[in-house]
Amino acid sequence: MSNSSRAELLDKLRDTASGQSAGRIELERNAMGSGNAPFVSANNLSLTYLQNVLANRGSITCVANRNEAVQAVGNYLYGHFRSHRLVAGNDPRLAAMPWRDAGVLPRFGSLEEGEPAALSYAKLGIVETGAVVTYTGKGNPCANHLLPEHHLVLVDVNDLVLNLEQAWEKINGDLGKDGRPRGINMIAGPSSTADIEGQVVYGAHGPRRWHVILLGEVPEETRELAKNNAPTD
Amino acid sequence: MEISSDTFLDNASAALRDTDKAKRRDFIAIATPQIRKAAIDEFEGFDALRKHVKRIRQHSLNNLAHYLEKFEQEAVQNGNRVHFARDGAQLNDIVLDICQQHGAKKVIKGKSMITEETGLNDFLKRGNLDVVETDLGEYIIQLAGEAPSHIVGPALHKSADEIGELFLKNHKLGDREFQETENLVDEARGVLREHFLKGDVGIIGSNALIAENGYSMLVTNEGNGDLCANLPDVLVICTSIDRVLPRAEDATAMLRLLVRSATGQPQTCYTSFYSGPRRDTDIDGPVETHFVLLDNRRSDILTSDYREMLECIRCGACLNHCPIYASVGGHAYGSVYQGPMGSVLTPLLTSLEESSALPNACTTCGRCAEVCPADIPLPDLLRNLRQEENDKKLTSSRWRSGLKLHSWLARHPRLYQWVTGIVIPAMHIIGGSRGRLSRLPMASGWTSQRDFPAPESRTFMQQYKARLRKNHEQ
Ligand code: SF4
Repeated sequence: MSNSSRAELLDKLRDTASGQSAGRIELERNAMGSGNAPFVSANNLSLTYLQNVLANRGSITCVANRNEAVQAVGNYLYGHFRSHRLVAGNDPRLAAMPWRDAGVLPRFGSLEEGEPAALSYAKLGIVETGAVVTYTGKGNPCANHLLPEHHLVLVDVNDLVLNLEQAWEKINGDLGKDGRPRGINMIAGPSSTADIEGQVVYGAHGPRRWHVILLGEVPEETRELAKNNAPTD
Repeated sequence: MEISSDTFLDNASAALRDTDKAKRRDFIAIATPQIRKAAIDEFEGFDALRKHVKRIRQHSLNNLAHYLEKFEQEAVQNGNRVHFARDGAQLNDIVLDICQQHGAKKVIKGKSMITEETGLNDFLKRGNLDVVETDLGEYIIQLAGEAPSHIVGPALHKSADEIGELFLKNHKLGDREFQETENLVDEARGVLREHFLKGDVGIIGSNALIAENGYSMLVTNEGNGDLCANLPDVLVICTSIDRVLPRAEDATAMLRLLVRSATGQPQTCYTSFYSGPRRDTDIDGPVETHFVLLDNRRSDILTSDYREMLECIRCGACLNHCPIYASVGGHAYGSVYQGPMGSVLTPLLTSLEESSALPNACTTCGRCAEVCPADIPLPDLLRNLRQEENDKKLTSSRWRSGLKLHSWLARHPRLYQWVTGIVIPAMHIIGGSRGRLSRLPMASGWTSQRDFPAPESRTFMQQYKARLRKNHEQ
């Protein structure tokens, strides 16, 4: 049934189309270039990024190295849950972290019922919008960013990109290299809704809290921001 | 598409008397424009981006067959099945067929205007499926058995108290009170989580189809669409043919306009791109994925004077800025599409005969065109529909004669000035010191509700000529 509709529709559309060859259409699109992005100062990307994460109602921590990162995860978990239970995807970067030092022993896999927190390692952080980018797969099962009460994300400071266009440049590079992941997720805050009388409430269906841990060398100003906005229990 | 737009005037009168709902409409009309303005003021390049995205959209529509085929080719390569549906009935049949092939019992749905348009829920229910809307707003109106009142916030007409009563009636969870909105959201979260985990088929919409790689973009804040896309074994993405864009960066350029115009954010909590079924390396996700691409007269609109309406990105800004929408609310329109965009789209997707009241539900104030991120000249399109209504003789003969007379007069400027030179001062005198007229021949529709302000003592041309004379004498 849908096959005849397909032929019928495409024939109809072809009759009304510009009639240009695929090559010319591509050229025409190329000539249009990219749209303009909001201005983001390249001065201190990490600072702007964390400011935007905060604006998205995320919480933030800044750490210089992997030891500090596992400590930060441990502190966060203990602060909120008085436990160190954590689920993380099978991401080699996560597996290689010195978890024992912080007394955290993550279960590597997909979140199961009753597990309150999951950790992802972002592919990218987008400074323009304060978002993280993850790809679904073994390293990041979708349950881990959609179902926990708290979603923690590690972002490497070297993986920060200025804006959405730069994000696509990197993502397209990965797609070319490793094939297309099933899902590319841009996440910019805890799940929220304003469907009841326009009042914004966090924790609609997905995580109630979203915590970004920025990993790497950053200017003092960025550290100050993170210190002044340390997550509350 | 089922509509009841022919009763717009009665619906509007009833809505105007409902002062409780008017409070919530006031929120939409006052708060949302401020939120949008703040977001756009912060992004100085908004207008330039609007022009860029418009060029891309026009380019995509000019080459729609090319981009649809390209998308289809990529999507199939990604492991999807792609179906084309001529109309709503065909889309419904295709989706039911998929559900039945999998012996599905429960269908969980993310927000999808296309399936609202085709009436998919009722169709699937008649096929013995349990269909659960999971967007909180859609879930609320599903419980209430109502249609959406706003394309972005479908339940914004309901009060928290009304929603609390609905939950008490429908969720068998014993005695409880809802002190805060958070309590309502929490309860819906718990109830819907159960449905998510038991869904056999997930159905979602798409904000953009990306031709270069076969991905579909989904933009949400709640994350419910993503749960529908990821948890059940079968995923069906229902959207329309006009959603296709050449590149991924085009989709996110459009996203910048969409999200600021709808909610004032730079990006929603979840912007997800889905390419197909689970890969060998995945440990979760659907095992089978389908796209159903709906035409439903869009290919006709493409060749009509209303083609720009296909560039609408469903942000809801024109509703939020429309004085008519603010006064009468979404249900008065009797269509799943409301406000200015609905008043153009509904007649095009159905017929002007069934919905001729809608293009007239407009004061031509122009706010909608000013704020529309897709730069659609909505008042012009509404005016053209009115013209068509007149040409098709759908208006009363008295109205048409009046218009004819006015048009004839307007084309004879001397006579026009002479007639108005008599009528206007006469109206001024009758208006007296009150400066208002309580009755006017052939305009009882106006004066039965409110007085007509009396005009100045002389017409503009009379005043202009007098001023020229005076300047000349000096
Ligand atoms: S017509 Fe314009 S303003 Fe209205 S919903 Fe569509 S894109 Fe938004």
